[in-house]
Amino acid sequence: MDPTQAGMVAVGAGLAVGLAGIGAGLGEQAIGAAAVGAMAEDEKFFGKGLLMTVIPESIVIFGLVVALILLFVF
Amino acid sequence: MLKPTKMTRVMIAGTKDLMEPAISTLHRLNVLHISDYSEENEDFKIGRPLKNASRLSEHLLSLRAISNQLGVKEKEPALKQSSGELPSRIDEKISELQKEVSSRFDDLRSIEFKIKEKEDLVSSIKPFFGLPLSLDDYEGYETLKVFTGYIDADIEPNISRITDKYELITGEHEKRKIFALFVPVAFADDVQKLLQEERTYVEFKVPGLKGNPPVLLDELTKEIAILKEKHASIKSELENIRKEYSEFIMAADEYLSVETQKAEAPLRFATSPNAFIIDGWVPSRKYDEIESELQKSTGGLVYLTGLEEEAKEEEIPIELENPGPAKPFELLINTFATPKYGEIDPASLVFITFPLFYAIMLGDVGYGILIAGIAVVIKNKFKSGGLNALALILFLSAVLSILLGVIYGEFFGFPLFNVEVKGEMEYGLLGIAGPAIAGIHIPVHRFESVQSLLLITLLIGIVHIFLGLVLGFRNITIEHGLKHAIYEKGSWMMILLGGVAAIAKLMPALMSKLPVQSSDPVFVGGVGLAVIGIILLIKGEGFISIMEIPTLLSNVLSYARILAIGLSSAGIALAVNTLSMKLFIRPDGVLLGGGIGLALVGVLILLIGHLINLLLGILGPGLHSLRLQYVEFFTKFYEGGGNKYVPFGYNRKYTEE
Repeated sequence: MDPTQAGMVAVGAGLAVGLAGIGAGLGEQAIGAAAVGAMAEDEKFFGKGLLMTVIPESIVIFGLVVALILLFVF
Repeated sequence: MLKPTKMTRVMIAGTKDLMEPAISTLHRLNVLHISDYSEENEDFKIGRPLKNASRLSEHLLSLRAISNQLGVKEKEPALKQSSGELPSRIDEKISELQKEVSSRFDDLRSIEFKIKEKEDLVSSIKPFFGLPLSLDDYEGYETLKVFTGYIDADIEPNISRITDKYELITGEHEKRKIFALFVPVAFADDVQKLLQEERTYVEFKVPGLKGNPPVLLDELTKEIAILKEKHASIKSELENIRKEYSEFIMAADEYLSVETQKAEAPLRFATSPNAFIIDGWVPSRKYDEIESELQKSTGGLVYLTGLEEEAKEEEIPIELENPGPAKPFELLINTFATPKYGEIDPASLVFITFPLFYAIMLGDVGYGILIAGIAVVIKNKFKSGGLNALALILFLSAVLSILLGVIYGEFFGFPLFNVEVKGEMEYGLLGIAGPAIAGIHIPVHRFESVQSLLLITLLIGIVHIFLGLVLGFRNITIEHGLKHAIYEKGSWMMILLGGVAAIAKLMPALMSKLPVQSSDPVFVGGVGLAVIGIILLIKGEGFISIMEIPTLLSNVLSYARILAIGLSSAGIALAVNTLSMKLFIRPDGVLLGGGIGLALVGVLILLIGHLINLLLGILGPGLHSLRLQYVEFFTKFYEGGGNKYVPFGYNRKYTEE
């Protein structure tokens, strides 16, 4: 692989994780805000709220899988 | 294990004079889950509380008030009090306590009020230090008006324009100019207006005291000191009372709670003018015990029957039943939802998978030891309840993390064994090469074996999801029959297995850019199986269910987080270590070559970095491992929505029967 191509692959992998991260963050902000709201009502929601908040993080995982495939397959 | 405790419905009926002994026996046994009676009709009404109920709750209320005022904290009792002795002294002791405590609290409040008053006086006297007058000089005039305050501007010219009959005294207090102005009453309004127009004017009132400010201040300070002393002595008296009565208060609180609970129990019964009926559930293995004990305490006059007839599943209370080590994991199940009566209780499965996922993610000997330590501390501090269960879960997970840490060869991110990475030797803390166990050469370097670890985690995911589907298959077979189970869960199993087989053949071909061998039996079989599965799914759940198929893929891919979280945790540790080591050792290899200052910064980075990573290491793997259980695993079979089993009784801590 020539260096330019390798560089592009690396940039692509970075974008896959980075953009997915931004997406997950956008998803989490709404959930996080709602979770804090629920906790203000009843502190027992802490566990469930925390759990709900990490649910969008799957998207980053998909981004990571894409990045790994890019890095190792190409 | 795997199933909630078997329950038997119990109906207890008797005449009203037997109600009290029946209640005490049931309360002592602490096994009957009472179903509240709510459908009143002409014959049966909801029962009334026993006659001592209001007296008991009054006592409880005043006791709790005292305990609040004294700040009594729960602690392990040195000695359990017998509840036979308690009631005889409880009345007089509570009123005695109330007298002692409430009068002292009134004193405290009034002293605090007085101190506040005096302190206010002190602060109002202080400005007058700057003026050479006694406090009496400011008051008691009939023809003169006195103004006192802070002011920055020179007001004398303006005042002399209003009148020449005035006396202005100026001074300084805390670097601000102050003044006292005496004018005849006739000019008071004009002067007042003039002052108000001045921006820097701030009035201070003359305190209604007589004497020289410094002398007064001295007196006030002395008085405050005396009051404070008194305050402290009352406080220490209260502290002594707290120490002396602490155990009594806890015991009495418990006794009264128990008695109130008993006295209010009839509110949950059905009663007619002369009889009562208690409807409830007991674990089937306890039925005989409850029967014989009840008959003993009522002389065999209570009628008791165990109903084997089917009740609505939702009504049966659920008690999870798991062997010791898996018990804490019930907390995770109940946080999600209590299972229904016929459902699988997955606590013992979570007992295996949760710590496993956690450990594969964290996988560091150093962090593992620290977290295990933290867990032991929490466990010792909280002997029961949710935090205790969490600590046990954390402990198991941390211990497994230590094992995985050995396999990965990581100790706070430092290599444990010597290992060759990209042709260069990396020297480990132990200074030896890792052993080879069962063909796997230890350490498995995480950053170097991403590909195989990714495959392993996805494989774990496939097995985990398949297990979930198998459990779902079992649940639906029991609830709706085999046909439904095949449509609903069997179809998914086929899609999963077929899809995995097909993709397993497809991926290597794609990666090496070879054509797919369409005659490969595994590939063909896999595709075929998946297609049959999809057909079954459509037949069972309608065409729209095709939309659901990609979620299976995303569910499997979701298990890649096991690798991802692990890599990020190891990555942070590595970054912290590299950064701080560079500050310790100069690039040319001289230890502390950069001087002590840089080395200290290095220590700071090392400590803070690892502390943050440790916290992340508890939170990240814990949450994500839990999420895999809840979102990927439970959704395949678990419905929940059961009623928790709450037996009528009390776990006594401070008193004995």
